Amino acid sequence: MKTIIRNTLCIVLCLAALQYGQAQEKFFRAIGTPHKPKVQVSWNRYYTYEGLRDIMQQIAQAYPDLAKLHSIGKSYQGRDMLMLTISDFKTGDPDTKPAMYIDGNIHSNEIQGAEFSLYTAWYLTEMFGELDFINQLLKDKTFYIIPTINPDARNNFMNEPNTPHSPRSGMIVLDNDLDGQAGEDGYDDLNGDNHITIMIRKSPDGNYIKDPLNPKHLIKVAPEQRGEYEFLGYEGLDNDGDGDVNEDGIGYYDPNRDWGWNWQPDYIQRGAYKYPFSLPESRSIMEFVMAHPNIAGAQTYHNYGGMILRGPGAEEDLDTYKKSDVKIYDAIAHKGEEIITGYKYLVVYKDLYSVFGGELDWFYGGRGIFCYSNELMNSYLYFHKNEGRGNREEELKVDQYLTFGDAFVEWKEYQHPQYGTIEIGGFKKNFGRAHPGFLMEQDAHRNMAFTIYHAYHTPKLSVTDVAEKSLGNGLREITATIYNERLIPTHSSQDLKYNIERPDWVSIDKVNVVAGMVVDDQDFNKVTEQVEHPEKIKVSNIPGMETVKVRWIVSGNGNYRINVNSAKGGLAEWVP
Amino acid sequence: MKTLYASLFYCLFLTCHALWAQDYPTNNDIHKRLQDIAKSSKNANLSSLGTTEGNQDIWLLTLGSDNQDQKPGIVIVGGTEGPHVLGVELALQFAERLLADHPNVLEHTTFYVFPNMSPDAYAQYHASLKYERLGNAITSDHDRDGSKGEDPYEDLNGDGLITQMRVKSALGTYIPAAEDNRMLVKADRAKGEAGTYLVYTEGIDNDKDHQWNEDPAEGIAFNKTFTYKFPIFEPFAGDYAVSQKETRYFIDYLFTQPNIYAFICFGPENNLSTPLAYNKQGNDKKIISSILEEDATVNKMISDLYNANVKAKPYKQTNQGTGGDLFQWAYFHFGRFSFSTPAWWIPEIKTEAKEGGDSKEKKDKEDVLPYEVNVMKWAEQEGLQELFVPWQPIAHPDFPNQTVEVGGLKPFATTTPPFRMVDSIAISHTNFIVEFTKLQPKLEWHNVRTQKLDGGLVRITADIYNNAPLPTHSQLGSKSRWLQKLKVSISKPQEQLVAGNPTQLIDHLKAYEKKTLTWIVKGSGNVTLTAGAPHTAYATNALKL
Repeated sequence: MKTIIRNTLCIVLCLAALQYGQAQEKFFRAIGTPHKPKVQVSWNRYYTYEGLRDIMQQIAQAYPDLAKLHSIGKSYQGRDMLMLTISDFKTGDPDTKPAMYIDGNIHSNEIQGAEFSLYTAWYLTEMFGELDFINQLLKDKTFYIIPTINPDARNNFMNEPNTPHSPRSGMIVLDNDLDGQAGEDGYDDLNGDNHITIMIRKSPDGNYIKDPLNPKHLIKVAPEQRGEYEFLGYEGLDNDGDGDVNEDGIGYYDPNRDWGWNWQPDYIQRGAYKYPFSLPESRSIMEFVMAHPNIAGAQTYHNYGGMILRGPGAEEDLDTYKKSDVKIYDAIAHKGEEIITGYKYLVVYKDLYSVFGGELDWFYGGRGIFCYSNELMNSYLYFHKNEGRGNREEELKVDQYLTFGDAFVEWKEYQHPQYGTIEIGGFKKNFGRAHPGFLMEQDAHRNMAFTIYHAYHTPKLSVTDVAEKSLGNGLREITATIYNERLIPTHSSQDLKYNIERPDWVSIDKVNVVAGMVVDDQDFNKVTEQVEHPEKIKVSNIPGMETVKVRWIVSGNGNYRINVNSAKGGLAEWVP
Repeated sequence: MKTLYASLFYCLFLTCHALWAQDYPTNNDIHKRLQDIAKSSKNANLSSLGTTEGNQDIWLLTLGSDNQDQKPGIVIVGGTEGPHVLGVELALQFAERLLADHPNVLEHTTFYVFPNMSPDAYAQYHASLKYERLGNAITSDHDRDGSKGEDPYEDLNGDGLITQMRVKSALGTYIPAAEDNRMLVKADRAKGEAGTYLVYTEGIDNDKDHQWNEDPAEGIAFNKTFTYKFPIFEPFAGDYAVSQKETRYFIDYLFTQPNIYAFICFGPENNLSTPLAYNKQGNDKKIISSILEEDATVNKMISDLYNANVKAKPYKQTNQGTGGDLFQWAYFHFGRFSFSTPAWWIPEIKTEAKEGGDSKEKKDKEDVLPYEVNVMKWAEQEGLQELFVPWQPIAHPDFPNQTVEVGGLKPFATTTPPFRMVDSIAISHTNFIVEFTKLQPKLEWHNVRTQKLDGGLVRITADIYNNAPLPTHSQLGSKSRWLQKLKVSISKPQEQLVAGNPTQLIDHLKAYEKKTLTWIVKGSGNVTLTAGAPHTAYATNALKL
C-alpha cells in the first residue's frame, strides 16, 4: 500500500514537473522561421563540401516523405554531385510535377550560393505542415536543389590559401602561359595564414602612402607627390624562372562558359574549356536536366553585387529572348527586386559583361526554361548605402565598426627571394564577396522567397470547364477549357521556336471520338482539326494566365474522362 | 634482312589487296587491314578510342617514329560522313602507301589516321538495305515531334536500295529534264513552268504528318556535331554540340596531343580545289566567320599544291563548310590548319553544243547541264549502266489511285567512284600529303655567337629561324590557348644569367621569319639552346663558352 501511494505521488510530481517545464518554454516563435527545426543548422557560417553533405543527409533522414538525397554524377576529383529533391512525395511522382531547379557555387569562390540553396531545402521541409502555402506548394511542385556544383574547388577555396577571387574555376590544372607546363606557378602563401593577400614594397617609384589615420589603408598620392609604397600583386613567387609571378595556377577555366547554347572557344570567350559540357560537373547537370523535362524554372547563385540577372549573356543573342518571354522575366524579377532589398534586376550582356556559353543562357536558349542568376551580397547590406563593389573605404569601415578587425590581415614584413623586403597583408579571402555571418540568414531567406515566387509561377493546369452539346444522330460535341493558373507558359517562345519540348496532350477516353480539334476562336467557330489520333489532341502551348479550348465530336453515350499531360505543366484530370 | 622480308611481304600484301578487292571494305575488313598495317611496321600503332552505340570501334592508327609526340602531327580523317565511303578507303590506303613508299616522312612528321569516324552510318553501304545514311546508331527525334525515329525509309520496290519515288500530280514541283527524261529537275516557276511530279525519298508516311521519311531510324551525324556554327536542333545534329561519343573520343584525344599541326579531312567539304576566301567583314566580328588573312594565303598555297598533284577540275565543288562540321572546327575552334576534299567528284561532261563558241556566250545561253543529267552522261561515258534504277510503278498506300514510281540514281552514285578508280585517287592524294609535309615549319638556330665580356661574363646572341614556307602557328591558332607558344630555353640556372631568363616564350614565327635573342651568362662550360613547341619540333644548339 505504501509503495502504491509513494508511486502515485511520484507520478503526480512528475506530471507537475512536466507541466511546469512546458510553462517554462525556452523559445518564442519568430514569424517566418522554422520554430523548432528537426534539423539544427547555424546559418551564420559556411560549410565545406562535407559540412553540406551532413546537413543534406540530416534533412533527407528527418523528412523521408519530403526530401530525397541522391548523386547526379561525380566531380572531376570524384566527389558526388549531391542533389536534394524536395516535394510532397505522397501527392504524386515528383518527376511529373512542374519543377524548380536551384544550384549554387558554380564559381568555387562564390561560396554562399550553396548555403542559400540549402537554406531553401531546409526551410521548405521544416515549414511543411505548418503553413498552408508551403503544403500546397510542395503538393504542386518539385524543387531540385544542388547546393554546390563545384565541390572540389569549393573545398580548395576554403581549405587552401586563396584570394577572394580564386580558384573560381574547378580543379583541372591547365597550361595558362602556354609554355608546355601546367600549373607550375600558382600563388604562394608566404606568411602561412591560408589567405592569399597583397604584397607591397617600399620604393622610390611608389605612388601610395599608408593612411596616417588608418595604416591598413593605402592612399594614392597626387601625380606630383612622392609616394612611399608600390603594389606587387598577390602573394607569390616566380616558381618557374620565366620572370612572371603567379601566372600559371589552378585552372584556369570558367565552368560558367561550358554550356551548350552559343558556346564559343577560349579565344572568343575567355574561360571556355574544350566544348560544351566538357567539364564533368556541367555534364552531369545537363544530363539531369535533359532527363527531367518537368523543370520549368531555374535559379543559379553567384556572387556578388546584389543582382537578379537574366540573359542574353551576349548581344549576339539578343533575338533569342522574345518579347512575350521577356514580359514574364520582367514580371518575376521586378517582384524579386521588392523581395530582396538592395538587389537590382539586370540583363547580363548590357549591364554586366558579355558571356557566351553561360549556364543561364543554356537553360533558356537550349531548354526553353526561364532562368535567373543572382549575384549575392551587396554593399547595401552593410550600411544601407549602395557604395558599389569593392569600395575599399567602406570595407575598411565595415572592418572597423562591424567586424572589429576580423576581415583584415595586418601588414607584416617579409623577406621575398625575388623582391627583397616586402610587406604582406590585406583583406582576407572570406571578406568582400562572402557575406559576414550576421548578414547571411536574412539574405538567404529573401533570395529563397524569390525562388519560391518563381517556382509558384511555373505552370499550373486545370480543366476549368467541360461543355457538352448534342449534335443529333447520337453525336455530342464536348468542349474542354484548360486553364494555366500561373504566369509561366507550358512552352516558352524559345521552346516553341525549336520544338524543344513535346506538345501538351489533352486526351479523352472511354468514348468513341469522331473528330478532335483545338478551338482557336470559340465565338466564330474557328478550329484546327487534328486528323490523326483525335482522342489525344496536341496543344503546342498553354500560355500563362490564359485558357486553351479543345473540342471533340463523339458518338455514343457513356461517361468520359479528360486528362491533361504537359511536360512542364504537370498533370490535370477532369472526371464527371 | 628482316626488314627486306617485311618490305617484300608488304609489297606483296599491297598488290594482293589491290587485285582481290572489288569493293569498299566492310567495318570488319577495315579492322583487319588496320591490324595488318600495325603488324607490318614498328612505326604503326593501332588503338581503339572506344566503341560507338552500334558497337563499332573508333580506330586510331598512329604513324610515327622516335619521339613522335614532338614532331608536327597531321590528322588524317576518313568517314567524316557515312556516305563518304571513299574517304575511309583513302585514309587506309594513305597509311599503307606511306609506310610502303614514303617511310622517311616519319622522320619529321607524325600522322594520326582516323580511318572511319562514322562506322555506324558507314555500315549501311554494305547492309541488305543500302542507303546514304548519316546518323549513328542512337535513336533521335529528327523532326522534334516527341517521337524518335518514327518515320524511316521503306524499300517499296524490294531492290535493297533506297532511291526516290515520284508521284504524278498536278501539284507537282518537278518535271523531267529536257536533256534526259529519266532525270527530274525543279520546275522553273520564274519561267512559268508547271510541275508534273512530286518527288520524295522512297518510303511511307508512317506517322501521317504528310512528310516522308523525315524521322529516319538513325541517329546523329558525326559531321554535324562540332561546335563551329553548330546547327542546334536540326535533323542529325541534336540538342547540343559534341553530344556523341564518337566526337568526344576524337576531340578528347586531340586535346592530349599538343603536337598536332594540321588536318586533312576526306569528306564533302572542299577548300583544296578552291581555297577559302578572306572576308574582312567576317574577320572583324567577335565571332570570327572568315578565314584570317594570313591563313587565307596559306590555304591558297596548299590549294595550288593540291591541284598540282590531284589533277581534277572542280565541278560543283561549292561546299566550303556546313554548320557543325569537323573541317571548319579544326580551324576555327581548334586553331590548326585544316584542309578538306571529297577527293573525287563526277567531272563535268562537255556537250557538243558547249565545245564550240566562246565561254561567255555559253554562260549567257545557260546551256550548262543539270547536275543529274551530267551524272547520267558521265555514267554512260564510263559504261556504268548500273548507276540508275529505272522508274517502276508501285501501289503506294499514301497515294491511292495515283501513279507512283520508284527509281532514280542509286545511293552513293554521286559520292563514291567505282572501286577500280580508287587506286589512282589514293596515289595522288598520298603524294599531295607527302608534299605538304615538306612545307611544315622547321626551326633552326643561325648566327650563334659568343662574346667574352670583362669579369668572366659571356654574351650569347643567336637567331631562331623558321626555315619553311609555312608559319609555326596559323594566324588563328596564335589566338588559341590550345596551341603552345615557342619556348626558348637556355641550360643555365637563373643565378648564372645576368641578363635573360632560363625560359622565355615567342608567340610564333611566320614563314622564313627569324628572331634574335641574347643572354649574358656568368661562368663557362657547355650551354644548350632549345627552341620550339611540340607542333613545330625543337631545334637545339650546343655551344661551349
